Amino acid sequence: MKSLPDPSSKTGVGTAGAQEEIVVSIRSDLDIVAARQRGRTLAESLGFGPSDSTLVATAISEVARNILVYAQCGEVRLAPVENSGKRGLMIIAADQGPGIADLHLALQDGYSTSRSLGLGLPGVRRLMDEFEIQSSVGGGTRVVVKKWQANSR
Amino acid sequence: MSAKPTLVQPGRAAAIGKATAGPKGRHKGGIGGVATQASSADWKQRYAAALAAYLREGKELQLQRAYELGRAALGEGRGVVELVMEHHQILLRDWTLRPPAEPRQALQRGGAFLREAISAFEMTHRGFGDASAALRRMHEFVEKEAKRIAYALHDGAAQLLAVLHLKLEDLARSLPPAGRSRVRETRQLLDEIEGQLRALAHEIRPAALDDLGLTAALQTLVESFTQRTGIPVHCDFRQSQRWPPEIETTLYRIVQEALNNVRKHARARSVTVAVTGQPDAVFCAIQDDGVGCDPARLFQPGGDGLGLIGIRERVQALGGKLEVRSAHGQGTGIFVRINLEGRSWPLKS
Repeated sequence: MKSLPDPSSKTGVGTAGAQEEIVVSIRSDLDIVAARQRGRTLAESLGFGPSDSTLVATAISEVARNILVYAQCGEVRLAPVENSGKRGLMIIAADQGPGIADLHLALQDGYSTSRSLGLGLPGVRRLMDEFEIQSSVGGGTRVVVKKWQANSR
Repeated sequence: MSAKPTLVQPGRAAAIGKATAGPKGRHKGGIGGVATQASSADWKQRYAAALAAYLREGKELQLQRAYELGRAALGEGRGVVELVMEHHQILLRDWTLRPPAEPRQALQRGGAFLREAISAFEMTHRGFGDASAALRRMHEFVEKEAKRIAYALHDGAAQLLAVLHLKLEDLARSLPPAGRSRVRETRQLLDEIEGQLRALAHEIRPAALDDLGLTAALQTLVESFTQRTGIPVHCDFRQSQRWPPEIETTLYRIVQEALNNVRKHARARSVTVAVTGQPDAVFCAIQDDGVGCDPARLFQPGGDGLGLIGIRERVQALGGKLEVRSAHGQGTGIFVRINLEGRSWPLKS
């Protein structure tokens, strides 16, 4: 697993810094709607097509739903990213919840009912191009995913 | 042994290729729960309401609902085709009653809503490839374990028994006649155990499958079937070529399981087993003239066909198809097609 971006800086914005990082705190279903809306708008402004924008919204739904279910509250951060000419979108989902004891298990299909259908974190991993997760018991969970714009690859 | 003409014709192959809708039936209940009629009506109502609201307002809130409804549908075992059909029926009904003032916008919104609703299916769809690969690895592991156990039984335990034989023979020579006959009895028991161990080792994983290939292993399997049951088997193995090991193992397991079913349930007078190779695929068919059954029953969990479910999974993990045709009084036929295309294995003849 690659090292995660430094959480202390508004990382990832980099050269595309014209747009600030968007922070949406997640406490209810309505916050999920807000995060999806911001994510979709950002994706479209970065040139993502309708299908990829939908997948971005889906990934936001899944990570935000995890926050509500396992940590009750947390936040979703959205930012444009750039890497050697590739443009993309980064989603960071962070919470101070109980954390995940066994990350390997949590990323396996079939670990829970929804995951037996390939939803949840394993599903998010398949929809996105990059996926990183950090979690410790009592220390919360932080999921960082990126989707690169297909045309700029 | 070869008596009957080739069973698996190209036409049959095409039929197998199309067989997805065959014995599987509808995916009832799903994994998340049972889709009852009441919950189905409720789901349709909520879908229609959210869609209508989105056509009116075009808000993210409704797209989130679309996504959640699609996700719930997936959990209840609804198919993606069913969802799309439902979506279009709602639009058709709605637009027939009230044609949209701005058709272009209405179409766009209808499409956007549907895209959200089926997005959860996209995750499942992408997961399928991974699951299939995992299943394949698991089968390889199981087969490796079977090989190890068979080897341990055959070359380990059975060899030890052979040594024990010699020791007992030695011992018998130094004994008075009464003692000798008791040792002889003991040795007879040992013979039986040894025979059972070898048979068990062979059943778990026949060494012939690795050493001599599928056709030779099947000949032995079929002969021992006839010996045990008295049911004659017509074999049609045209090729003596070798296929990739995972395909040979799977075909062997299919015939083994099929003959098992024949022995237990079919009350057949004869069986035909055919294996045919074509440049792009291998076909296998096992047909009996027994009492037959409802093919769907063979695939019900907990029924007699537990073995067949496993076999079908193995075939699917290899990218193949398995079809069962049967009816009461008309025998049972199991037809398998496994594609060779895209495999890097060099085909030796």
